[in-house]
Amino acid sequence: MTRYLLRRLFWMVPLLVGISLISFLIMHLAPGDITTTEAGFNPKASQESRQKLRQLYHLDEPLIVQYGLWLKRMATLDFGTSFASHQRPVFLERKDDKGNVSKGMIQEALPITLLINVLSLVLIIAVALPLGVISALNPNKPPDRTITVFVFIGFAVPGFWLALMMMYWLGVAHDWLPISGLHSLGYEHLTWPARWWDTARHLAIPVFISALGGLAGISLFVRNGMLDVLHQDYITTARAKGLPENTVVYRHALRNALLPLITILGLSIPGLIGGSVIAESLFAIPGMGKLFYDAVLMRDFPVIMGILTIGAALTLIGNLLADLAYAWADPRVRRGVGG
Amino acid sequence: MKQALSNPLARWGFAIIATVLLLALLAPLIAPYDPDAIDVKAILLAPSSSHWMGTDGLGRDVFSRMLFGARISLLVGFVAVGIATAIGIVLGALAGFYRGWVDTVIMRLVDVMLTIPTFFLILAVIAFLTPSIWNIMIVIGLTSWMGVTRLVRAEFLSLREREFVMASQILGARDGRLIFRHLLPNSLTPVIVSTVLGVASAVLVESGLSFLGLGVQPPNASWGNILTDGKEYIEFAWWLSLFPGMAILLTVLGYNLLGEGLRDALDPRSNK
Amino acid sequence: MPRKLLPFLAAFFLLAACGRPADSSNADLNRPYPPQSGGTLVDAMAGEPSGLIPMLAGESAASAIAANIFNTLLKYDKNLELEGELAKSWDISDDQKTITFHLKPDLKWADGAPLTSADALFTWKLVTDDNTRTPYGADYKLVIRAEAPDAQTFRVSYAQPYAPALDSWAGLQILPKHLPQGQDINTTAFARHPVGSHYYQLAEWTNGERISLVRNPNATQGQARIDRLLSRFIPDPAAQFLELMADNIDSMGLSPIQYARIFPARPELNQKIALYKELGNAYTYLGFNLKHKPFDDQRVRQAINYAIDKQEIIDGVLLGLGEPVASPYKPGTRWSNPRLHPYPYDPEKAKQLLKDAGYADHDGDGILDKDGKPLAFEILTNQNKQREMSATLIQRRLKDIGIDVKIRVLEWASFIGRFIKTGDFDVVLLGWGLGQEPDQFNIWHSSQQAPGQFNFIGYSNPEVDKLLEQGRLELNPDKRQEIYHQFAKILLEDSPIVYLYAGYGLPAIHKRVKGIDNPAPPAGIGHNAYEWYIPEPLRRTEISAQ
Repeated sequence: MTRYLLRRLFWMVPLLVGISLISFLIMHLAPGDITTTEAGFNPKASQESRQKLRQLYHLDEPLIVQYGLWLKRMATLDFGTSFASHQRPVFLERKDDKGNVSKGMIQEALPITLLINVLSLVLIIAVALPLGVISALNPNKPPDRTITVFVFIGFAVPGFWLALMMMYWLGVAHDWLPISGLHSLGYEHLTWPARWWDTARHLAIPVFISALGGLAGISLFVRNGMLDVLHQDYITTARAKGLPENTVVYRHALRNALLPLITILGLSIPGLIGGSVIAESLFAIPGMGKLFYDAVLMRDFPVIMGILTIGAALTLIGNLLADLAYAWADPRVRRGVGG
Repeated sequence: MKQALSNPLARWGFAIIATVLLLALLAPLIAPYDPDAIDVKAILLAPSSSHWMGTDGLGRDVFSRMLFGARISLLVGFVAVGIATAIGIVLGALAGFYRGWVDTVIMRLVDVMLTIPTFFLILAVIAFLTPSIWNIMIVIGLTSWMGVTRLVRAEFLSLREREFVMASQILGARDGRLIFRHLLPNSLTPVIVSTVLGVASAVLVESGLSFLGLGVQPPNASWGNILTDGKEYIEFAWWLSLFPGMAILLTVLGYNLLGEGLRDALDPRSNK
Repeated sequence: MPRKLLPFLAAFFLLAACGRPADSSNADLNRPYPPQSGGTLVDAMAGEPSGLIPMLAGESAASAIAANIFNTLLKYDKNLELEGELAKSWDISDDQKTITFHLKPDLKWADGAPLTSADALFTWKLVTDDNTRTPYGADYKLVIRAEAPDAQTFRVSYAQPYAPALDSWAGLQILPKHLPQGQDINTTAFARHPVGSHYYQLAEWTNGERISLVRNPNATQGQARIDRLLSRFIPDPAAQFLELMADNIDSMGLSPIQYARIFPARPELNQKIALYKELGNAYTYLGFNLKHKPFDDQRVRQAINYAIDKQEIIDGVLLGLGEPVASPYKPGTRWSNPRLHPYPYDPEKAKQLLKDAGYADHDGDGILDKDGKPLAFEILTNQNKQREMSATLIQRRLKDIGIDVKIRVLEWASFIGRFIKTGDFDVVLLGWGLGQEPDQFNIWHSSQQAPGQFNFIGYSNPEVDKLLEQGRLELNPDKRQEIYHQFAKILLEDSPIVYLYAGYGLPAIHKRVKGIDNPAPPAGIGHNAYEWYIPEPLRRTEISAQ
C-alpha cells in the first residue's frame, strides 16, 4: 500500500509542473506584457502597480528564470497579495506587526465552494444510484427511458435560467426559501441548530442546481456499469445458485459496478468548481467562482493564478483520494496487478 | 446509424436536431422580420399573431432572432467541437501509434488539462483576449479535446494488436499508410459519440459565457445572449427567456439522446 | 447506503423549503406616521468595497459607504449650494488665493477623540503624499501652503486663485490623525476598521456578504433616525430585483424597463414600494478619436451628429426616462447654457455635410466612400445594457445615410487597458459625470492627452484651452457662468462628441421608509437620508426581534 501511495505521489509531480506551466502561460497571454492591462483609469496607481508587478514576477528577467521563480513560489504556496487596494493575502492569512490578522482570500472562499460541491455530490449520488439501478434493471423499458430523458433534461437546462425561475417561484411568489446570499440578517444571534438550518435553507437552491447538471453523467454511468456487470459470469452463477434477486443485485452487482464510480467522482471535481462561477454570481455566494470571476475582471493576477493552482491541486488531491479508495476497495490494484 | 435510430429516444433526439438544423439553415426564408430590425414603438410586446415569440427590449422580433441565433449557437458548437476533435484525433493517434515517451508526454498533458477547472480557463482566456465569436470557438475547442484523445489512443492501442494491422506492418507498410488506411478509419466510431455530446456541451458553455457578459457579441444574436437579455424580466417579459431557454434545453437534450443512442448502438457490449 | 441517505436528503430539502418567520404585520403602509428613530434599512450593492478609506478605494461601493462614515469640510445642500459640514464658516482672502475654514466647536470622532483642524491638515498631507496611491491628489497639490494655526482653524493657500477649490474641499473626507498615523496608509488595517465622524460607524463587515453600519453616538451633524444601515453585496441585477420584490431589501436603483413597464403592470408591487425619479449624475456620449481620419474633419462629426436621432434613443433605450443634453452640465443648473440645443435629427443635412466633405457612394455598394476608402468604423462600448442598445440604434441610423458601423462590447479592464489607454479606437460610447463644479479642464484641455489621462479622444482647441484656463482663475460666479456657457457653445459646434442623453436615476424604496422628499430636489432624494425613518409597526420582525 505504501509503495502504491508513493508511486501515486510521484506521478503527481509532472502534473504539478504542467499546471504551473499553464497558469504561467495564462499570465503571459494578455497582449503586450501583463502590466499593460489594468483595471483602473489612474495613471499614478498604474505606474506603481506596474512596477510592483514587474518586481513580483521578475518581468525583467529572461522567461526561463521567471518560470523558475514562479515554480518556487508555487512550491512554497506563496501566492503573494491581491492587486486590489485592500492587498489581502491571496491564499493564507497573514498577521501584520500590529497583530491584525488579514484572512486569505482563497482561505475564506474555498470552504464555501467545497461545502456546496460536497453537498451536491452527495445529492447526486443519492439520486443517481437508485435511478441508475432502476434503469439497469429495466433496460430500454419505459422506466429506463423516462429516467434517461429526465436526467438529460437536468443536464440540458441552462442552469442560470432554471435558477432564476426557482428563485422567483420559491423566494418571491411563495416566500419559502431565501433568494440569495449565505446567511440571513441576524445570523450571529441564532443558536447553533438555527444557524445550521439557516445555512441549509440558503444552500438549498444552489446545491439543487449544481447537482442537477451532474446527475446525468453519474446515473448513466451507474446504469451502464450495472448492465455490464449483470452480464458477467459470476452474476449468472450467483443467480444459478438460487440467491435471491435482491442479494444478487445489491450485494454482488452494485458493489462491483460502484468501483469505477469512485474514480469518476474524483474526476468530476474540476467541472464542479468551474461551474461555480455562474451559480455563485447569481446567488451572491462568496466562493471560489465569484472570487475568480471578480479577479478576472479586475485583472488581479495573483488571485487568478492562485485559484487556478489551488483548484488544480484540489483535483489532484481528489483524484489521489479516489485512487486510494479504489485501491482499498479493490485488492487487485493494491497488489499492483490492475491498471 | 440505422441501428442507433432503432432506439426511440435516439430517434427523438435525431428529429429535434434535424428540425433545429433545418430551421437554422432556412432562417432567412422563414424569419418574418429582419432579426436586427429595431422598432422602438414595439418594445417588449408579448407573443401575438404578428410576433410569434414577442419582441425584445429594442422591439426586435424574437422569433426571427431565435432563428438566426440558432445559426450562431450551432456554429459555435460545431466549430468548437471540430477543433477539439481534430486535436484529439491527432494527439490520440500519435500517442497510440508511437507509444513510448510520445504517449507519456501526451497523456500527462491530458491529465494536466483534466485537472484544471476548464471553465475558469475559458473565462480567463476569453476575458484577456476580448470576446469574439472566433475566440469563443477556439478557446472552447482548445479546452475540450482530452476525451477524444483518450478514445482514439485506446482504439489505436487495441487495433495495433490485431492481425490485419500486424500483417500490413510486416508487409512493410509505412507509418502514414498504417495510420490513415487501417487504424484511423477503424477507431472513429467512438469519436462520433463524443463529438455529438461535445456540441451539446459547447452550446451550454456559450450560454454560460453570455450570462457573464463574455459571450457572442451584439448585435449578433445567439441563444445564450437572447436568454441573458431576458433574465432580468423573467416573470414579466417571460417570452424573452422562455423561448431561448427551451431552445437550448431541447437542442442539448436532442444531442444527448442521439449521442447515447449511438453509444448503445456502437457499443458491442450492450447488445440486448 | 443510498437507501438510508435518500430519506435524509429528501427531508433536508423538503424541510429547507418550508417555514420562515412571518413578515411584519399588515400595518398600513400609506398612513402617516410621526418621525421615530430606530429600525434597519437594507440595500443592495453590486460590488464590494476593497477598503473604506475614500481617497484610496475607487469603487462606487466604497464611496457610497464611506459617505456615511466620514465628513467633509463643506457639502452641497439640497439645492446644490455649498454650505459648511465640519466647517462652521469659511473666508476667502482679498487676493482670492487663501481660504480659511473655521471648524465647528467640540467636534468628536466616533471613538470620542476630539476632531480638530490637525485632522484636516493630516488628511491634506496624506492626499498629497506621493506614497499615497490615490487618483484624487491633483486638486490638493495646487495648495502651496496648508496650516492649522489653532484647533478650530484650517487655512490653505494657492499660488493663484483656483476657482474649483471650494468644490474640492467638499470632496475630501477628513480622516482621524490619531488612527492611521505612522502606518502605511496604503496597507493600514484602518481601511477595514475605519473610525469616522459622520452619522454612522462600521459595525460589522462580513467579506463577500454584507457591511453593516450603526448610528454614531458622537456624530458631528446630529443624530440620524435610522439605527442601522445594512448593505448586502448582490452582484446580479436580476437577483437584486427578486430580493426587492420579496421584501428582503428596501431599496435599489431600477432600470427603465422595471420602472416604466414592470411596476405599472404589478399593483401589488406599487402597494409596498414607492418609485422616485431624480436627474442622474452622468450623461452618455459618442466620442470620436480626433486623431484618426475621418474624425479630424468637423463636417463628418457634425454629419454623424445630425444623423443620430437622440429622442429615439431616449424613447427606446430609456423609455422616455431621460433628457437630451447640449452641454456637459446638468440641465437646469446655472452652468448649463439654456440657449444651446442638441443637433436636431436631420439626415438630409447629414448627407449634405458628408457630400461637402467629399463622400459619395462611388462603387454603388450603399456605403459612402472617399478616395476608395469606405466610410466605416467600429463603436466600442463597455458591458452596459443601455450603452449597448444605444449603439445598436446609432448603427441603424448611420446605415441610413450610408455609414457602415460595427459594434464591439468589452468588459471594462480590456476596454481601458487595450483601447482607451493606447488610443487604439475609432469611436467610443461612454459616459461622463455631471458634477456641481463646472471646471472640466481634465477632460477637454489639450494638455490632458497622455495615456491614462481623460482627454483620450485627443481634443485640442486653443480657444477652449483658453476658456478652461480662465475658468479656473475666475471666482466670480457670474463671470464663470459666462465663460462656461461660451465653452459649451464652442464644444457643441465643434462636435468632438455627440451628446446622447442624461438618464434619470430611478430609485425604488419600500414604503416603510418615511420622510423622503418627493419630488426629488436637485441634489437627489438621498440628501436628507438622515431624516428618513422607519415607523416601528412597519419594521421587519426578524431584525427588531434582536
